[in-house]
Amino acid sequence: MNQRITIDPITRLEGHGRIEIFLDDAGEVVSAYFQVPELRGFESFCVGRQAEEMPNITNRICGVCPEAHHIAAAKALDELFGAPCLPAAARIRELIYSAFFVTDHTTHFYCLGGPDFIVGPDAPKEERNILGVIRKVGLDAGKAVIACRARNHELIKKLGGRGVHLCGALPGGWSMAVTPEIAREAREIARQNIEFAQFSLETFHRIVLGNEAYRDLVLGDLYAHQTYSMGTVDAHNAPNFYDGTIRVVDPAGNEFVRYRPQEYLDHVAEHVEPWSYVKFPYLKNIGWKGFVDGPESGVYQATPLARLNVADRMATPRAQAEFERFFDAFGCRGNGPGGRNRPVHHRLATHWARLIELLSAAERMQELADHPELCDPEVRQAVSCRAGVGIGSVEAPRGTLTHHFTCDERGILTSVNLLVGTTNNNAPIGMSIAKAAKGLIHKGVVSDGILNRVEMAFRLYDPCCSCATHAIGTAPLEVTVRRSGDGTILDRISRGL
Amino acid sequence: MVVIGLGSPFLTDDSVGPRIVRELAGEGYPGVRFVEAHAGGLLLLEELSGTRNAIIIDALLDESLPPGQVVVSGIQGASHNAACSHDCGLPEALDIGRAMGMPLPDNSDISLVAVVARDVTTFSEDLTPEVEAAVPRACTAVRSILARKNAGSPAEAP
Repeated sequence: MNQRITIDPITRLEGHGRIEIFLDDAGEVVSAYFQVPELRGFESFCVGRQAEEMPNITNRICGVCPEAHHIAAAKALDELFGAPCLPAAARIRELIYSAFFVTDHTTHFYCLGGPDFIVGPDAPKEERNILGVIRKVGLDAGKAVIACRARNHELIKKLGGRGVHLCGALPGGWSMAVTPEIAREAREIARQNIEFAQFSLETFHRIVLGNEAYRDLVLGDLYAHQTYSMGTVDAHNAPNFYDGTIRVVDPAGNEFVRYRPQEYLDHVAEHVEPWSYVKFPYLKNIGWKGFVDGPESGVYQATPLARLNVADRMATPRAQAEFERFFDAFGCRGNGPGGRNRPVHHRLATHWARLIELLSAAERMQELADHPELCDPEVRQAVSCRAGVGIGSVEAPRGTLTHHFTCDERGILTSVNLLVGTTNNNAPIGMSIAKAAKGLIHKGVVSDGILNRVEMAFRLYDPCCSCATHAIGTAPLEVTVRRSGDGTILDRISRGL
Repeated sequence: MVVIGLGSPFLTDDSVGPRIVRELAGEGYPGVRFVEAHAGGLLLLEELSGTRNAIIIDALLDESLPPGQVVVSGIQGASHNAACSHDCGLPEALDIGRAMGMPLPDNSDISLVAVVARDVTTFSEDLTPEVEAAVPRACTAVRSILARKNAGSPAEAP
C-alpha cells in the first residue's frame, strides 16, 4: 500500500509539529501520534551553574511562557535556599503571573484555537487566522486583543524589570517593591481585563455555542476522552495558578490523590516508547496501560479543562458564575461523586475552559491590585547557600509545570529536571489526534477541512514546543504514514524541516 | 529606527541575532534603538510600533545554504521569517497592526539580516564556528543598511 497524505502547515502552534499516522492494509487509521523535536542538553547546560541563575535561564526556553518558567524556578529556589517567599513578594509574583495568564489565554483564543471556531473549521486555510477572526467579530475586537496584550506586557515589564523575559525573581523574594503609581495602573489594567474577559466569553457563547454545527462539534464524541485530570487547587479546592496542592480526579470525578508539588515523583512517572524520544508522563500508582481511556489507565490530562474538572469551585465570583454555566451545559453540574461536578471529557471544551480561566485570572489581578499592602517594601531577604533540593511548581497555561533542582553547599547546581505543561499532555494529545483521524480519514480520503479537524485535536491543548527558531518557508511539520505492526514507512511528507 | 536581534541566547546559533545587536549597540548610533528580542509575531509587533525603519537580525534555517552565509532581504517573500508560531508570522502581524491603526514602518522599510544557522536545538551559549565567523560580516551588513537609511554614523570615540 502506498498512501500519501498532504497536510497544510501547522501555522498556529509553537515550534515544530510532527504527526505519525499508522494505517492498516485497507488504508484505515489504526493510530496516530503527535511528536515534537526535543531540544538537547538542557540539563548539562545548567549543571555547574549557580542555582540563582535558573529563573533567568529557564525563562528563555520559550518565547511564549517565560513567566511560567521564571516563577516556577523562583519557587524552587525558595525551597533550595530555605527561604519561604516574603508575603509582599509572593503577591507581586502572583500579580505578574495573573497578568501573564490573561495575555497567554487571550493569544490562544484569538490567534490559535479561536480561528477554528470563529472563522470555521471548513473555512479556507488562508482565512483561518486572527485576520479572519477580526473580519468575523469586528475591528474593535482586534484592537481589544492588541490592547490587552500591550497593557499586560507593559505591567509585567514594570513589575518584572524587563519585557518578555522578566528578571525580578530572587530566592525568597522579588527584586523591586511596587510603587503607588504602578499599583494604580495595575488596578485599572485589572478592571479592563475583566471587561475584556467577559466580552470574550460573550463572543464564545454567541459565535460558537450559538452555531449548531460548532456546538455539535464541542459537545460531540469525536474529541471526547475519559482520562484522569490534574490541576493545582487552593485549600478550598478552587484552581490556583500560582500555588497550592496538586489534585487528581478520576474520570468519574472522585479525588484520586492530592499531593504537594515536592512529592511529584511519588505520583508521576514517565513512559518511553521506542518510536519517540518524547516521554509520556502517567500516574505511577495506576500504571501505564497504553494510549487508552478509562480509570484503569494511568493517562491524565493537565489543561485548562483539567483544572476545572479538579475544582469544586472558582475563587472569584464572575468566574464562579461561568464555571456553573459550563458544567450545566454538559449536564455535569453537581451530579458527580459527593455532589461534585462530573468531569467534562469533551476536549474541545478546553477552549471554553481557557476563557473561564482568563476571567478568573483577571479577577485575581483585581484582588491583588486592591490588596492594602501591595506596596509593602519588604520584598527581599538575605539568603545563604546550602546543599539540598528545591522543587517549585505552578500551573502554566498548558498544564502543571515543575522545576526540580539540586545543588551543593556552594549553591552550584548538580542536577536539573523540568516537567513542563505540554509534556504532561503528550499521551492525551496523541489519543485525541488518533481518535479524530480514525473518525475522519477513511481509505486515505482526506480534505483540508478533515485534516484541520485533526489539527484541532492537538491545537486545543495549545502545545508549546519551546522553539525560538524562525525558518523561511513554512511552519515546520512532518507527517509520516506507517504500516501498523512493523512500523514500515509508507510515506513521509515534510515541509520546512 | 530600531535594530532587533531575535533569538534565544541559550540555543547555540539561535543567539546570533542578540549577539550582533550587542556588538553594534556600543557603537553609538544616535537615534537608533537596539533591542534583544526572543519572540516573533505579535511580540515583535510591539517592538516595531512607533518606528519608521527597522532591521531584524535572526538565525535562518535553510538547508540549501551553507551555515554562516549572511542573507540580506526585505520581508516580502520571507513569509515565515520571524514567525512566532504561537500567534502569527511577521507580515501577518504587520497587517494586523496596520489594520488596528498602529504606527508601523512600511514593509519596504523593514530589512532582514539573517545568518544561516547550523544548530539551533542544542543548549549552548557558543555559536558554531561557521556562524561565529559570520558575525563581523553580518555587523557590516547592518552598518551599511544604517548608513543607507541615513541613521548617522557611529559617534566619534572620545
